[in-house]
Amino acid sequence: MLILAKNNGLYIHVPFCEKKCGYCSFYSITNKTDKINSWLEALELEAKKFNGSKITTIYIGGGTPTVLNISQWQKLFDIIKNNFDIENLIEATVEANPNSLTEEHLKFFRDNNFSRISLGVQSLNDNELKILGRLHNSSKALKAMELVKNFDFNLSCDLIFAIPEQNLMSWAKSLKGVLNFANHISTYQLTLEPDVPMSKKYNYDDFNENGYKFYRYAQYYLPKKNFIQYEISNFAPEGNECKHNILYWTQENVIALGAAAVGYIDGVRYKNPETLEKYFEAAKNNFPDEFIEYEILTPHEKQIELAILKLRTKWGIKKSELLPEVEAVLNSMPSDLFINTPEKISLSKRGMRLGNSIWCELIDL
Amino acid sequence: MKNIRNFCIIAHIDHGKSTLADRLLEATGTIAKREMKAQILDSLALERERGITIKLVPVRMDYTAKDGQKYILNLIDTPGHVDFAYEVSRSLAACEGALLVVDASQGVEAQTVANAYQAIEQNLEILPVINKIDLPSARPDNAKQEISEVVGLDASDAVLTSAKTGEGVNEILEKIVNEIPAPEGNINSPLQALIFDSVYDNYRGVICYVRVINGKIKAGQNILFMANNITYPVNEVGVFKPGFTPVNELSAGEVGYITASIKTLAEAQVGDTITDADNPAKNPLPGYKKVKSVVFCGFYPVERDNYPQLRDALEKLCLNDSAVTYEPETSEALGFGFRCGFLGLLHMDVVRERLREEYGVELVATAPNVIYEVVKTSGEIIEAHRPSDFPDPSEIEEIREPYIKLSVFMPSEYTGRVMQLVQDKRGTYKSMDYITPERVRLIYEMPLSEFIVDFHDKLKSQTRGYASLDYELTGLKASELVRVDILVNGEAADAFSFICHKDAAYNRGHAVVTKLKELIPSQLFEIPIQASIGRRVIVRVNVRALRKDVLAKCYGGDITRKRKLLEKQKEGKKRMKQIGKVSIPQEAFLAFMNVDTSEK
Repeated sequence: MLILAKNNGLYIHVPFCEKKCGYCSFYSITNKTDKINSWLEALELEAKKFNGSKITTIYIGGGTPTVLNISQWQKLFDIIKNNFDIENLIEATVEANPNSLTEEHLKFFRDNNFSRISLGVQSLNDNELKILGRLHNSSKALKAMELVKNFDFNLSCDLIFAIPEQNLMSWAKSLKGVLNFANHISTYQLTLEPDVPMSKKYNYDDFNENGYKFYRYAQYYLPKKNFIQYEISNFAPEGNECKHNILYWTQENVIALGAAAVGYIDGVRYKNPETLEKYFEAAKNNFPDEFIEYEILTPHEKQIELAILKLRTKWGIKKSELLPEVEAVLNSMPSDLFINTPEKISLSKRGMRLGNSIWCELIDL
Repeated sequence: MKNIRNFCIIAHIDHGKSTLADRLLEATGTIAKREMKAQILDSLALERERGITIKLVPVRMDYTAKDGQKYILNLIDTPGHVDFAYEVSRSLAACEGALLVVDASQGVEAQTVANAYQAIEQNLEILPVINKIDLPSARPDNAKQEISEVVGLDASDAVLTSAKTGEGVNEILEKIVNEIPAPEGNINSPLQALIFDSVYDNYRGVICYVRVINGKIKAGQNILFMANNITYPVNEVGVFKPGFTPVNELSAGEVGYITASIKTLAEAQVGDTITDADNPAKNPLPGYKKVKSVVFCGFYPVERDNYPQLRDALEKLCLNDSAVTYEPETSEALGFGFRCGFLGLLHMDVVRERLREEYGVELVATAPNVIYEVVKTSGEIIEAHRPSDFPDPSEIEEIREPYIKLSVFMPSEYTGRVMQLVQDKRGTYKSMDYITPERVRLIYEMPLSEFIVDFHDKLKSQTRGYASLDYELTGLKASELVRVDILVNGEAADAFSFICHKDAAYNRGHAVVTKLKELIPSQLFEIPIQASIGRRVIVRVNVRALRKDVLAKCYGGDITRKRKLLEKQKEGKKRMKQIGKVSIPQEAFLAFMNVDTSEK
């Protein structure tokens, strides 16, 4: 048993979906809702490992957490309550999708002190939603956003850009549309890994610049609406940043539960068994080490990674935290990628657009 | 000796040389019909695939003529390609006569003339043969007329034949017996045997194909290779029946082979004279010379790890082909490989094909080039193989490059296009004449470097395949050549430098920088790409700075996954070559070298 006294995040990966989206390469399964109860049992066993740990943020992601019905949610919530110290909880987020989110769910979340809904809107254009293989259309998305808003949750919306057939006008409309409801926006460029169904039809190479115009527009438009780009993919008015995600960018501890979930505790990253079957098997054996992938970061690796993670955010990194070799590489790059002050360094708007190229120079220092 | 006839067949590619040879073998019962593979004497897969014959294996036929006497007919083939002009001359020197085969519908082609002239020069009796008379398009009278007008030989009693149906084959055999002179020579003089070809055999070492001019040769005899001054005892002598058939001795007038445990082809070179070590001839036979590579290209293994395999294959291949030269070379794009020298383009293709077929080596070949001669202001003359060998422009007095005399035969309607093509390739007009009202012969002088790049393909496409060409090297000539350097982000990128005529520098420089612009990925900064001659920039383009790279969802804290993606991206970058701060992908180097990786 591992009791973590200091503040931790808690991430629970719900690996179930009604339907797999054409672009998704994360672990989830469909048509296996009968497995949810067994999964909850296994999850409970895993949570016991951390029994008593202090939790400040919760993020329940997936997959599609809203495929769980209310009694299953009750069970999940009990697992959290019974195993963790949530006295100092400041944020609890559930990922939801417009197709399966119900009023009942929202009532339950409100009654159990969840504060934030992250809604997978992706687009407000019906054609784009169809291309992505989503189950919802734009009117369903609008209804879901309204519903969430009526329950007074903090609402974050995910939007995807560089979708085939998408143009700047439709992107602008999607951004504007979600702004009526959301107080946090995450934008992601569509990337297709070779094994996803959409890549059979569309060929996206890793280096494509397809997203430039969309991203640039978001960088122009959202700050005007008071949504500050506080991280490469995330925009929010000051104070509405996702506290849980900030834990990742600052290398704080996050306990992760569930199949294929990834956690980080004091310099050790771990990844749970990739499939539900293996996860069940691990549970049967009380989660022995051989089922879990551990990656122990050396102090050097840890510092490189910290630089990469912190540079993703608008707060950047203090120069005192930078390894000299990292600083040297950053200094050798074009200066318009950075905002440089005597104390710290962070990415400029252009730097945010070219993050990958910057990290690439740092990863194997 | 009086019943021996040594002859060869000369023909333009595709005019039916191999098929005719097959019919002769059949008609003399040398090979039974059922044993005939189509064109049995073509030995290289490349030859079979392209339907061309580079060189036939020699063969001896026994023939009982209408006069009731038995004759020995030795068919010695000549490589029907200008790349092997020297070998052709040596093969011809081993014969007393030649069949000049002309396709009844195609008429005289460029190579027909070149080969016929060589035979005339060697004083051979030439028997014109009009082949493929079975074709509906056959116009034997026209072909005869062309032989007499273009080549200048009397073709009035040319044999009309169809190697396909066998018609006329017996007539050819009779003509060989009756019109080709028997060899002359003295059995009692000191041995003089001409090596007209040699091959390497893993078990027996070098097998020399010889024509004995004077004297005798037999097993056990000590022989001297006069050019190299090396002595060997003979292991075996024999004749081609076909296949190696040992005999007791070969004497003046005969054609056969000898083995003497000779380890490399370089020791028994084509054209050399073999004599008796204990009773040597006073002089070697005339005509021997050392062959020199004129066309060069880089060979690199497809997989870098296969370099040793390529090296071994080249070593072995050279046992078999002493005309290939090679030296190690490294390329920024292709790693370790060899710079190889060849007699010409076809020879290059043959070698490449053999490496693949016989040694299983998959390789990439860079675009061929030539050797330049640079006269420095100091008076020193240097050979320049590659752009980096060229001294600074201020030290150059003159640059010389190899030139060829090119003759093109074609239907007259294509004359204009072909002249344009040749002129674009820096050709200088020499002469034009009408072979018939419909067919034209053009003679041009042009630089070999322009010829070897893609001239043949362009000629074919301009004339829909109706043109034939032949060329001979005419020597070095001064040219106004310049070295164009390519600068990437201000740094010289040697791999992209090239030599060209000063008038072409802008266009080619433009093409190279444009291609590089296309192939060099955008990076964090703008990259100027310039082409320059000395310090003068002639073209400049910019690779736009990268505007954005991917922003995928970095999900649930799976930073390891993100890092793996970055590592993959980085891996791609590592495969690129750094020139200064700029990463240049392999494709850019490959495109520049015009590397041909296509399967033949």
